[in-house]
Amino acid sequence: MEPLLKLDHYSVSFQTSMGEVQAVRDVNLTLNKGEVLAVVGESGCGKTVMCQSIMKLLPKTARIKSGTVSVNGTDITNYKEKKMRNLRGPVLSMVFQDPMTTLNPTIPVGKQIEEAILRHEKVSREEARKRAIEMMDLVGITQPEYRYSLQPHYFSGGMRQRCVLAIALATSPELLFADEPTTALDVTVQAKILDLLLEIRDKTNIGILFISHDLGVVARIADRVAVMYAGKIVEIGTAEEIFYHPCHPYTWGLLSAHPALAADGGKLHSIQGMPPVMLNPPPGDAFAERNPYAMKIDYEKEPPMFQVSDTHWAATWLLDERAPKVEPPISLKRVE
Amino acid sequence: MFILSVLVFVFARIAPGDPLQSFYGDAVESMTTEELDAARARLGLDAPIYVQYIKWLVNACRGDFGLSLKYKQPVLAVVSPLIGNTLLLGGIAYILVFALAVLLAIACALHEDSLLDKFLCKLGTVLYYTPAFWLGVVLVLIFAVNLHVLPSSGAYDVGKQNDVINRLRHMVLPLFVMIASHLWYYAYMIRNKLLDEIRRDYVVLAKAKGLSKRRILYKHCLRNVAPTIVSIMAISIPHVLSGTYIAESVFSYPGIGNLSVESAKYHDYNLLMLLVLITGTLVVLSSIIAQFINEAIDPRMKELEVQQCEQ
Repeated sequence: MEPLLKLDHYSVSFQTSMGEVQAVRDVNLTLNKGEVLAVVGESGCGKTVMCQSIMKLLPKTARIKSGTVSVNGTDITNYKEKKMRNLRGPVLSMVFQDPMTTLNPTIPVGKQIEEAILRHEKVSREEARKRAIEMMDLVGITQPEYRYSLQPHYFSGGMRQRCVLAIALATSPELLFADEPTTALDVTVQAKILDLLLEIRDKTNIGILFISHDLGVVARIADRVAVMYAGKIVEIGTAEEIFYHPCHPYTWGLLSAHPALAADGGKLHSIQGMPPVMLNPPPGDAFAERNPYAMKIDYEKEPPMFQVSDTHWAATWLLDERAPKVEPPISLKRVE
Repeated sequence: MFILSVLVFVFARIAPGDPLQSFYGDAVESMTTEELDAARARLGLDAPIYVQYIKWLVNACRGDFGLSLKYKQPVLAVVSPLIGNTLLLGGIAYILVFALAVLLAIACALHEDSLLDKFLCKLGTVLYYTPAFWLGVVLVLIFAVNLHVLPSSGAYDVGKQNDVINRLRHMVLPLFVMIASHLWYYAYMIRNKLLDEIRRDYVVLAKAKGLSKRRILYKHCLRNVAPTIVSIMAISIPHVLSGTYIAESVFSYPGIGNLSVESAKYHDYNLLMLLVLITGTLVVLSSIIAQFINEAIDPRMKELEVQQCEQ
């Protein structure tokens, strides 16, 4: 079966006055129907750029440098704006990070949902209105008929995110990019939105690419996890593999920096240093400078993806057979 | 308003020149000193300035704005037939300026940074900084003097007061000058507002819904910019009005702008005072209207004002 989304050596760069910024570098991944793939990584590692470039929502300074992106087996790498417009909505859809700014403040939320339906389906205004109200009901907005005609500022953050979700789902997309949809919300609302996403996934078999930097959220929602660093995917595997048998030192760092996942007591670990500037990335492994286990080769040559199991891959020279055996840090032992 | 009237009254009288010149014309030259003094006394020009002012003020409150020294008629009678002309010219210019400004702004915002956008911006800047009076003279030279296609001055030909086409023909050049000198200022302002709006997050969501850029601009951005446009329009009334005055005097268009320049030239105090009062009232009124519109559109403005007062 064709995967819903397939990225093949996908690279995205920005042309700036300072030079070329490599935001996404050589990413390979697939996402199947009904699957939740989480992409985790620090701020600025290229998660959002990757999603927005797939939907071609980035400004003109961004361009796909190499590689291909296919949706349902169709290569959409060179799709022009007009063709993309027909994909956005019925096939690809997106939920954004900040629900406070992603809705148009002057238009009633119901109208904003209706607009998406009317754009893609030949239905009457009343029919679209009915559907919009159904969508609001589906995402858990009570009294949808009444709230249909309210402007966004009548809604709380969580409710607004539900509205954005209703817009994104109104055209029954096959693939949803959820770009940190819960980051701006408080914890209880977060949990509700995550449950809602899973519920919708079960109902509609939609594929979700979930972006987050919060491993707690990822643990709750993801089937598979991709760890991204400096525009590259450094480790990818099932949620279980990533959380219980991480292989990449960066993943170790991320996990031991999480209060709920790290061992009890003692100081919380943090990864030293800053991610590299992607203007002129250094040769070798971009993580080498911050990697306590770095070897000489890490500064010279980029590690390839080493296969750990059928579903688990990691890009670190530590997995090379010539590398010394390194145990994951003790702070992670508890979860094993 | 009161301060304005005092200032204009004093300055007009301090300015060098003799009002009798305009009253009697060249006959002044042949009058004796006694005759001149008698004339001054008759016209009330011999009293100290503050006495003159108080007299004027008392009369003005009764609705009597005095006689025009040049036209020898009550000033109201001189002014009232011309107000219509000015309002017609100013009104048409005002509507055209904003209609075109919005259209241009949309065109530029849609094709941001394209050749079209750059060209329009450059052309607009050049036109905006071209002095209106110079442009007016050049246009008269080309279209009226050399090509003979359009009249050079006036509001209508003799006896054709109600001929719409004739009147419009007389308005073409003044309108062109006014639009050229105002349009870009507002088009650029609206263009920048639209570009700010296009960079908002909700535009990305609208795009992710599959809407086209054009549709997002019309349905989402323009709607959100509309309040700003309305308040800019209200604030701009005095600006466009001042443009009307310049255009009127360049094209000798019989309106109150032209008249006020004349009245200042001839020391026609009473006429000048009335015109200044009318203009001042218009400016103050439009500012008040702008304030009201802003408050109606955005209640936060009123709250902001209250906060500032409290501090």
